[in-house]
Amino acid sequence: MIRQLSYFAAFALGSALHAADFQIDRMPNPPGVDPQIGGLDVLPDGRVVAAFHRGEVQIFDPATKTWSSFGEGLHEPLGLLVESPSSILVMQRAELTRLKDTDGDGRADVYETVFDGFGMTGNYHEFAFGPAKGPDGSLYIGLNVASNGAGIRPEIRGQWSDIGELDQAGMLADGGFGKRAGKAGRMYSRVPWRGCVLKLSADGKSMQPFATGFRSPDGIGFDEAGNLLVTDNQGDWRGTSPLYVVQKNGFHGHPASLVWTPGWDKGDPLKLPVDELDKLRVKESARFPQGDLANSPTQPVAFPKSWKDYQGQVVIGEMNQKRLVRFLPDEVGGFRQGALVPMMDGTSLGNGNHRLVFGKDGALWVGKTHLSWAGDQGLVRVTLSGEVPLIAQSVKLSKSGDHHAFTIRFNRPVKAPTTAPLIDAFGYKYHKEYGSPKTDEARLPAGAFALSADGRELKVEATVRAGLIHRIDLSGLQSSDGQPIEGRLLYYQATLLP
Amino acid sequence: MKHFITLTAAVALVAVSNADDPKTVFQVQCAACHAVDRVLVGPSLVEISGIYRNNPDGFVQWCMKPGRKRLAGIEMPSMAAVGEPALRQIHAYILKEAAGKKEQKATGVDPFAVPRAQVRRPQVQRMFLAEASPAAIAVALPGDLSYCFDASECRLRYVWKGGFLNASEHWLGNGSKQAAVDGEIIYRETAYPLLANEGNGPDPGEPEIVQPVKFTGYTLKDGVPSFHYTHGGIPVVETIRPLPDGSGIERTFEMGGNPPGLKVVVAAPARVESSTGSLALTAAQAKSFTLTLRWK
Repeated sequence: MIRQLSYFAAFALGSALHAADFQIDRMPNPPGVDPQIGGLDVLPDGRVVAAFHRGEVQIFDPATKTWSSFGEGLHEPLGLLVESPSSILVMQRAELTRLKDTDGDGRADVYETVFDGFGMTGNYHEFAFGPAKGPDGSLYIGLNVASNGAGIRPEIRGQWSDIGELDQAGMLADGGFGKRAGKAGRMYSRVPWRGCVLKLSADGKSMQPFATGFRSPDGIGFDEAGNLLVTDNQGDWRGTSPLYVVQKNGFHGHPASLVWTPGWDKGDPLKLPVDELDKLRVKESARFPQGDLANSPTQPVAFPKSWKDYQGQVVIGEMNQKRLVRFLPDEVGGFRQGALVPMMDGTSLGNGNHRLVFGKDGALWVGKTHLSWAGDQGLVRVTLSGEVPLIAQSVKLSKSGDHHAFTIRFNRPVKAPTTAPLIDAFGYKYHKEYGSPKTDEARLPAGAFALSADGRELKVEATVRAGLIHRIDLSGLQSSDGQPIEGRLLYYQATLLP
Repeated sequence: MKHFITLTAAVALVAVSNADDPKTVFQVQCAACHAVDRVLVGPSLVEISGIYRNNPDGFVQWCMKPGRKRLAGIEMPSMAAVGEPALRQIHAYILKEAAGKKEQKATGVDPFAVPRAQVRRPQVQRMFLAEASPAAIAVALPGDLSYCFDASECRLRYVWKGGFLNASEHWLGNGSKQAAVDGEIIYRETAYPLLANEGNGPDPGEPEIVQPVKFTGYTLKDGVPSFHYTHGGIPVVETIRPLPDGSGIERTFEMGGNPPGLKVVVAAPARVESSTGSLALTAAQAKSFTLTLRWK
């Protein structure tokens, strides 16, 4: 009981204290606009551009806290990229569109179709995300698969795929579809590029299918090193939500889109043995334990220099839980994997954290949405109040004699802990069912641990288990001046062992 | 310092009493979608209590392998990861929380819906609509006419009279509901009205110039869109405006490149006139002309 009490005391006090580490300000909503934000970016002058649920694109001036209209009439925009103050790219259901203000009145008068070379069945779940701009200027977009929560419409766009138990008539959203839905595949990809990430030339005129295997890749972005990151949502073939470092021509686990692999000749991917799919797939670089860390992760964004000790890390939004998540990358055997860490727990941030962008002044803008699922709405500004709190900056897995060791680097010296941090390993099934219970749960035996001379590096030996998530509990850890750690649980995905 | 110690002790006691109890699990796993007495994303605890009061097994089974009870709703994800013992505790917690509470009726009001008379015209809204591809675009013209342009087929699909769109169910839900046109469809166009007419004379056997088509966007002038697309490689700009008396529409076509001679065909009972004086257009005339279309 005493032990439990001190544990919770540290947690509770820690959360309360961390509320002061971040300044969180809710901005006013634009009048008359459903304030669910699908796309967010900043202009060079610091103003913020947001795309809203019902198709408006508006510009927020932080100085006056007022909104002005730039465009409207889009269909469920879910991504936005500023090219210049008069040219803004928006991903909407049917296409990637360039909104241009050619007469200088501050409002778009040209809605130019940049890319619409993908299929649509009219199924509600065929959302479109991006664009994320790569280091070479290419644009990357992500396309959802459809859900058997509904069928398809009589008129579709794009080439119909005959691969599947039901034919096109059988997939129609008529009164009887509910009875046939079980044969549709929980999520399905019957028109081109659903479940894929596509690479577009900067002008949008040429397209390369880049990767397959996605379910609902709401989060698409680049890290500081130029890796393409995509988050996906728990569901069928997703025991829990994953983070991928996307591999060119790679299959990323959700089988429906395999039919769009150039030269695909293996028939219905849902009929392939799970073992075969498991061998084909690119493994997760990190996983968000459902319920514990995140249920619907969103956009990954690299921290800018102004976030000092956070540099080299990635911040990721989360819809269901009242937090953001940090990704601390590691590299093992040429594979990028790493640790996910809760961020801003115990603050007034709230949930629905959908689109993230850093302003030139370092402010982190968070656009919220729910789209009838769990979430929130509106625009929030997050800034560091003062000094960066004590955080884990990196977690590296290395070989250490017969064992392995986690080396956790902090941004400030910490007090030497008296016992080794608790490490629990667990996994999730890769299977067609929706979600998964935890598997292979085990508490690892406490290993040797040592703090570096500068007090900033804690090395913990452990019998690390390949493929599993390792939850390293740093509750109670304090900086040398007595501050608690922000983000006390590290979820390291040990896809590969050194 | 004393202040701090008191705060710590108080918070710690609350935290200990909440450790992994059903309330905490409910907050993390369920509360984002289920409220006590009103529909949030899923049904209220009051409604769930009504269904499963004496059936904890059924509750656990549903949570492990959920389906859909409301056709218009979204499907609940499986809570198998929570585990059966915790789900049984959540069942008891739900009954306790809902005890004595009554369901608050959802208002069903869309706070952003615009009444018919207040719809701003002209206006463009891309939307899922019936009788069109999923890449449909709705346009409200000045007056009381609206039309559906299909960005997939690059052509006018239909015109309606009255209000603009009833799209609240689309916007308030997950997007599965198409918007309904707010009014009566008074004209349907079954095919692109321009046929290539190389011989420059009436020849109904000529193929349409519709293949292949490519949508390239729209421009706005005073809010009225001009649609840009290519037909068989010929760039076309089409602008649709209402006739002053509302009896039809005026369609301006600007063609780039070297368009062929054209024949204009519209199915009866609609009537069409061309600004060129004839429904057979020379290649030179095809570069710019206006069609006046009346449906009665």
